[in-house]
Amino acid sequence: MWDPQVVVTGAAQTPFNRRKDGTGPRDWAMLAFADAVAMAGVETDQIEALYLASESDFFALQLNPASILASELGLTGAAVVRCESGGCSGQSAVQMATLAIQSGLISHAAVIGLDASASGLPGDKIRSLYGFSFDNWTDGMTGLTATALYALSWQHFSAEQGLGPRHLAHVTQQNRTNACSNPDAHLPRKDDADAIDASPLVASPYRRLHCSPLSDGAAALILSHAKAAPRKTAPQVVGIGAATDHMHLGARSEPGSFAAKQRAMKRACDAAGIHPQAIGAAEVYDAYAGAQLQAVAALGLSEQVDQDLSSGAFAPDGRCPINLSGGLMGQGAPAGAIGVAQVATAARLLEGRYHGALQPSVPPEYALADTHGGVCTTAAVTILRRSGGL
Amino acid sequence: MTTVHLPLEYDLKAGWLSPFVEGLTQGRAVARVCAACGRVSFPPLRTCTCGSAEGEWVILSGRATVITRTSGLDGDFALAQFDGADGLTTVALQSTATVAQSPLVLQASDPPRLVLGLEDTA
Repeated sequence: MWDPQVVVTGAAQTPFNRRKDGTGPRDWAMLAFADAVAMAGVETDQIEALYLASESDFFALQLNPASILASELGLTGAAVVRCESGGCSGQSAVQMATLAIQSGLISHAAVIGLDASASGLPGDKIRSLYGFSFDNWTDGMTGLTATALYALSWQHFSAEQGLGPRHLAHVTQQNRTNACSNPDAHLPRKDDADAIDASPLVASPYRRLHCSPLSDGAAALILSHAKAAPRKTAPQVVGIGAATDHMHLGARSEPGSFAAKQRAMKRACDAAGIHPQAIGAAEVYDAYAGAQLQAVAALGLSEQVDQDLSSGAFAPDGRCPINLSGGLMGQGAPAGAIGVAQVATAARLLEGRYHGALQPSVPPEYALADTHGGVCTTAAVTILRRSGGL
Repeated sequence: MTTVHLPLEYDLKAGWLSPFVEGLTQGRAVARVCAACGRVSFPPLRTCTCGSAEGEWVILSGRATVITRTSGLDGDFALAQFDGADGLTTVALQSTATVAQSPLVLQASDPPRLVLGLEDTA
């Protein structure tokens, strides 16, 4: 266990969707940042560092975005760095900021995640760019897509676990139903199993409705040293963990298992001094419906995925609600913003500040934010704890 | 709104992977044998899963068995077991091979791609 010194004083996000209002990523960053600062109760000049998560310069055609945002947000003079680890970028930024504050060298840091994954380029161009997430000289040169790689991984996992289309439909419907109560969500939909089966086949068994969307949006956090936090009810960052797996799916001993996530979770739980069973709400990286179930198993949130899914253990009123926000599938997926928004959701849930219809009447003691890049090649998880002051 | 056109033409170098990449253009499966544990990796691993970075090149037959496959709007892809390799390989499948049973063989392709197709028996 470590001695946790970091608290989440500010947590906010913009709606995730496809922007058609003429706004750009800097506008979204400003909106999320202003809301997070207001919630934190700190002045901008108290923020000593900015950690920016953004997956690709090509989405908005802007290199060195951290320095530019520092000026835009009134953080000139602060230390700035851009964090990038594919889809994991947002969580990596949260963890870098946490370590900086935990070190005692700074008291307040801003974490901003953003990407224009929907409106800046046509969808096929964005998907082509994502294809370069994989090793250029091997997997990447086959021309395969993220959906195809995830589909291959899922086939191995589902065969081992006895899972199939019914389970993919369950996750799809649950996440998007949750999104219907989230005003920031990109895809608040209620599709029945027939509609899911009728959606186009992208990479078997994944159909269009099993996939997360390409979204625009931003999320922001203010992390503070506990001694400097204006608000005593701010949730604590009690555990962080990160790990990697082999970049080639075929080089892994079990292509269906998210081993990096399992290792990251163990590190985070060891830091927090808890077991996975203590987690009372989790925002999980559901790039695809099956990936959520692969994550649930790797995180140790379930030893019987089929049984727990069927019994409602992960539903809003279950023992561990998963993706109350709607997750990537329902809330949306602006790459760099994902991990930041997941931590923001977890923090708001623990402090009783989340959207009314989704806020548990009794907040859990621990909440988890789980993010990864590649087909879980890079994984990072963060565990938050409800403050004793609540 | 401002529209920007950005045509990019990269000249990428394969470096130490050149034997593997050049092999693909000729339909040859050039793999790596780890000097420490003997594991045969295809695609080649510079650092083996055992941790050793010492190894030699070896040419496999190019025949492979499809273990799992996926098809749809994105194309046809598989995880395949190449004869003589340890572990699986992500490959694209030629359209003629998508419904065929194994074994399939590595196809020559330029630009280089990991593609499996039917064996040419002519």
